Amino acid sequence: MPTTEVFQPRRVAVTALGVVSPLGSGAAENAASLRAGRDCVSPVTAFDVSKTRAKTAGQIGLRIADFGSRIGRRLHPASEMMIAAARELAAGDPAFAPELMVIGTTSGGMSFGEQFHRALIAQRRPREAAFWLANYMPQKAVLDATSDRRWSAPSQIIANACASGTNAIGHAFRLVRAGKYQRILCGGYDALSELVFVGFDALQASTADKIRPFDRNRTGLVLGEGAALFALEEMESAKQRGAQILAEVTGYGISTDNHHLTQPHPSGIGPRQAMERALADARRAPAEVDYINAHGTATAFNDATEGTAIAQIFGDRVPVSSTKSMMGHSLGAAGAIEAAFCILALRGQFLPPNINYTEADPAWALNIVANTARDARVRCVLSNSFGFGGTNASIILEAAP
Amino acid sequence: MSVGIAGMGWVTPLGTDLEKVWAQIRDGIVPETKTLTNPESGRLYPIFTTPPEAIAHLARNPRLRRSSHVGTIAVAAGLAALENAGLAMTPETAANTAVVFAISDGVVMYTRKFYDHIVKQGAHTASPLLFPETVYNAPASHLAALLGIDGASYTLVGDASVGMSALHFAGELLETSEVDQVVVVGAEECDWILCEAYRGWRLACTPLAEGAAAVVLKREGRWKFTTHPGAPFFHQRDAAAALASVLAHFADAKIERVICSANGTFIDRAEASALAPHFPNVPVFTPKKSLGESPGASALQQTIAAAMTGESALVTVVGFNHQVSATLVEPSAIAAG
Repeated sequence: MPTTEVFQPRRVAVTALGVVSPLGSGAAENAASLRAGRDCVSPVTAFDVSKTRAKTAGQIGLRIADFGSRIGRRLHPASEMMIAAARELAAGDPAFAPELMVIGTTSGGMSFGEQFHRALIAQRRPREAAFWLANYMPQKAVLDATSDRRWSAPSQIIANACASGTNAIGHAFRLVRAGKYQRILCGGYDALSELVFVGFDALQASTADKIRPFDRNRTGLVLGEGAALFALEEMESAKQRGAQILAEVTGYGISTDNHHLTQPHPSGIGPRQAMERALADARRAPAEVDYINAHGTATAFNDATEGTAIAQIFGDRVPVSSTKSMMGHSLGAAGAIEAAFCILALRGQFLPPNINYTEADPAWALNIVANTARDARVRCVLSNSFGFGGTNASIILEAAP
Repeated sequence: MSVGIAGMGWVTPLGTDLEKVWAQIRDGIVPETKTLTNPESGRLYPIFTTPPEAIAHLARNPRLRRSSHVGTIAVAAGLAALENAGLAMTPETAANTAVVFAISDGVVMYTRKFYDHIVKQGAHTASPLLFPETVYNAPASHLAALLGIDGASYTLVGDASVGMSALHFAGELLETSEVDQVVVVGAEECDWILCEAYRGWRLACTPLAEGAAAVVLKREGRWKFTTHPGAPFFHQRDAAAALASVLAHFADAKIERVICSANGTFIDRAEASALAPHFPNVPVFTPKKSLGESPGASALQQTIAAAMTGESALVTVVGFNHQVSATLVEPSAIAAG
């Protein structure tokens, strides 16, 4: 479904970003961790993992110290991550006032729902019950960040499983490009929860080992958490007000693989369609792409289909890495965090590494950025996100003009 | 933004036939009340359920063999809307069709069962069959698969305003991409834990209800459809002002009826306060007495009710902790005239 606009397309700038991930709080810390290839996966402490195979995750120990109210001290971690990301974004572009927010997530403040559930089973209704209920829904973290920044704009919250963050950026990009809005805040968030952790464990999709994307010896994913937000603005408007241009969004592709609810078609048609549509949308040839931030969950199925699709389109020329190898899979936040990593790569002229890589999978030939970051000329990058339900999304980001 | 409604379908506690259900709503018919029991405390909750025959035709569909109830009624409503639009889903049509699905509380029955296993029996007993169906976008995935759609499929979440967000989002897809039609579906299911939650929120005045509603949006249709992206509110006391700001965008429209979201909670006061100065003499009507409160579906149910009036009708929605919105539904002949 390549886009053929009936409108005069606008160019779309990223004027600011905010990112919180297990690699660090803020762009500078994340960039340093990416360059160092830091393994930021650690033993899970938030809930009992004695009966799961997987024991580790990429986690954030973040507390917003100055939210300023009694309720603020009890914010859900998802809200804290969103507030921190929003604050960094606002510091980078204080004049940015969004007209719309498009945010991706998969589970909102799920752990508060878990606490409510446990209280009901125990036949008690603690004082916190109403607070848990009011704060577990996916819109709450968005409203908390909005309230903290005193923004007032409608929001669209996309829950397209693990593609949500990329879908949010992609949809926001299309709206600005079409001239429907001048400024949109977009991104994604997800916080670790027991229900989701156990879910991936039950599916035997997660591993007790290191996460080794695209490795012959890969055994599954490790979960993560985090948030990333972007200020998207029509390019001329951003230039006129003197905003810093961090990068340009130039293409978005979406596809749905109807093979199975959780397993991609072995041919790789879903990822291939998403990438091809993003390239067509950006009017870029595969040879013009300098780096691919792969979805790369390290599950047998994902990496097989994504690796096949990348090899079919790009051959072994384009460097590929999965930054999930350093921080795990943050689900609805993943696409947003990885888009932030792509922008850091564009601005820092380096390729983030795919750590824990021991042996190439002979099923395909890919140019994996194995274990250590590389300095490189990076002008155009593609980022992939694929999820349950067969939802696939790719975006293309380019260096600031 | 203005687009067209080409077809509509719903699965409600009163049935699935557009005309018959609308006639019952108009006559104030209330469906038979069923009861859900909290097995932990024994507390009882009245709910409205959809009739089993509404989804009987999907019982043997292999894609839906493990689908949640909300997934199945969502698919049923989507297929009904396509049939109502006279749209046969050929591969060529599917290539230019998108799905947008709205849900508020998620696949709550499976989610509660899945977490029950974890809490009561340990994480090692958690079911790998249940978990994939608990994700918010599982119903949209099933509908896209049955229709052969390999392009855009989106699931939106939020409070009871999410159906409005989905309609606006679908309009944006029509305006910014090559899709020719979007199947917009909203749905919700009931579980005792959800009843407990709404009781805890003091939002349980109208019985919770199972339900699904769908419209097929095209660039032109039998009804002209003008949406608004909505406005957020941070406290219930701010909802009226937020809705008033949205209604100002429709101040010049000729509105013959308002289909509101009143359900016996703070929403009633917010809508009354916002509507009175803008549309003091326009009849206001809520379908929730007959359809119950089905958060993911309710805005789409209101939209269908607005279309069924045959008049120029404004739909207003106040969610419970997120957004307010409004949309204008006009028969195309009236809009053109």
